[in-house]
Amino acid sequence: MLEIILFYIAATVALVSTILAMTRANAIHALIYLIVSLLAVAVIFYLIGAPFVAALEIVIYAGAIMVLFVFVIMMLNLGAKGDAREKTWMRPSVWVGPALLTIVLFAELLYVISSAEGPVSTGVVGAKQVGLSLFGPYVLAVEIASMLLLAGLVGSFHLGRRYLDRAPSSELGHQQEGE
Amino acid sequence: MSELMPVLLALTILVGGVSLAAVITWWERRLLGFWQDRLGPNRLGPFGIGQVAADMIKLLFKDDWVPPFSDKVVFIFAPTAIVVAMMMGFAVVPFAPNTYILDVNIGLLFFLGMTSLAVYSVLLGGLASNNKYALLGGLRSAAQMVSYEVFMGLSLMGIVMMTGSFSLVDIVEAQADTWFCFSQTLGLVVFVVSGIAESHRLPFDLPEAEHELTAGFHTEYGGMKFAMFMLGEYLGLILISCMIVTLFFGGWMVPALIYDWLPPFIWFSVKVFLVICFFVLLRAAIPRPRYDQLMSLGWKVMLPITLINLLVTGAILLKMKGA
Amino acid sequence: MENQYANEIWPLAIYFGMVIMLVVTMLALSWVLGQKRREAATNDPFESGVVSVGGSQIRISVEFYLVAIFFVIFDLETLFIFAWAVAFFELGWAGYLSITVFIGVLVLALVYQCRSGALEWGNKTRTGLREDQLTTGEST
Repeated sequence: MLEIILFYIAATVALVSTILAMTRANAIHALIYLIVSLLAVAVIFYLIGAPFVAALEIVIYAGAIMVLFVFVIMMLNLGAKGDAREKTWMRPSVWVGPALLTIVLFAELLYVISSAEGPVSTGVVGAKQVGLSLFGPYVLAVEIASMLLLAGLVGSFHLGRRYLDRAPSSELGHQQEGE
Repeated sequence: MSELMPVLLALTILVGGVSLAAVITWWERRLLGFWQDRLGPNRLGPFGIGQVAADMIKLLFKDDWVPPFSDKVVFIFAPTAIVVAMMMGFAVVPFAPNTYILDVNIGLLFFLGMTSLAVYSVLLGGLASNNKYALLGGLRSAAQMVSYEVFMGLSLMGIVMMTGSFSLVDIVEAQADTWFCFSQTLGLVVFVVSGIAESHRLPFDLPEAEHELTAGFHTEYGGMKFAMFMLGEYLGLILISCMIVTLFFGGWMVPALIYDWLPPFIWFSVKVFLVICFFVLLRAAIPRPRYDQLMSLGWKVMLPITLINLLVTGAILLKMKGA
Repeated sequence: MENQYANEIWPLAIYFGMVIMLVVTMLALSWVLGQKRREAATNDPFESGVVSVGGSQIRISVEFYLVAIFFVIFDLETLFIFAWAVAFFELGWAGYLSITVFIGVLVLALVYQCRSGALEWGNKTRTGLREDQLTTGEST
């Protein structure tokens, strides 16, 4: 009973904050709602018996990837001008079409799920099981993931490098930063 | 009765945490005064402990000012985030046998997650203030915190390998024979360094370096909201100390060779107190590094050390088990 | 969804509620008790006594973005190490071998970062720059 109540609270928080995240014109406000949504999803994962995934949801998504997003927003640092421009982009004619199509897909998904058999959760999957299967049958995927991350690192550095190599005086940022 | 226990415990942790954080501000100033050959606050009450209450009253009556040029909602949200995140971190700390709010098999990851959420407070505080100094201070602080967060988790993996669990209760119980500070000395050093950087205390308090960035990310903050940043910082200090004791110094376990004549919680508190004093000593003894030195220390020294520690620990453990 | 986790989590939910209440009380108390004083310069941004010029929409150097990217990538790699560490004894030497390869790639990334100067703070020592480029950069 208790877990049902907690589940519905978390699910409501996740839904409401996601909708708010989509509709905010201010990027930082939207990001804060997105972080709340991710935390709520972490609670849901925990309740359906996936504690390790719940922890990763907090550490990786809420604690790392969203930090990167906030960093980028800070670097762009658009201020009130950005909000005004964002508002002009959020016209109904832009979002009504995709929203209607998504509702069709959602209805289809609901139908498929409700006709499916069996429990949603297949018991608790602890951290140890995740480790055993990651480094057991899926060890090749882990190694490939490390290569992929290496590629991502090299790529992102080379994207940023152009701006690093610019002369200090040509970039206001470097002057302001000047330490 | 057993239903009420967690509620009482939660209340105790809440009140205890906040008052301890307040008392530490006084204790730190007294200790610093002692080490620097001066008095420190000594006027109000015995040994000046009344200073804590005086500071609190003063902060309550300060102007609750929200800058008109700031992003007001985020401005108020930022200091609450660090207090909530740090307070939530205490939920997994086992203070004594069966005395914890939550014992889950992801306890350690929960702690790491909460410390990683504390970054937002700094980032959002700096951004919402709409002040150049605050923005730069916030960015510097956040870059420092995320850099040191990478190996904060890694430095603890040696312990996880030996215990085979993320549960903090399991980790404490695994230290019944030997504390992990002997077998994981490198991990301890790295964790202490990253802990200081995470709670951005001296010597790693560059984000608040007065001579460069006025007060860093909390330049525009005053009164209670400033006090909440400070509360968050001191709660972070206590939390890190609690974690160091839990992970490396046997938690509530009694030190070897000493006859067990005190309850476990007292042992835990004594150890935490000593670790906090050590952090204050660090503040008194070590000068502040330069920002680029701080960053390269993290990436070029600490991270490789952690990885080597991990591989060596793994090899030794497997060898011992195989033999 | 019958598992013991939900029963363990309710003290946490109560504790979370209490923390939120504490924070709200602190903010509300200072809002009620705090003095309200507005003077000529109260609502100006504080910049060490200098009158603020321009907005705070300054450009930030790209190092911060790089640090954030590196952080995300390394944090993702630590996740795999977490999963390995917790199942360490069960995985044995086979797991040790695969994590050695994994950490090897990680170290490779780190070495690359160090060699290419991605971790240098301040842009003069970057090896991607030739000496003549450096001088022209500074003279302009």
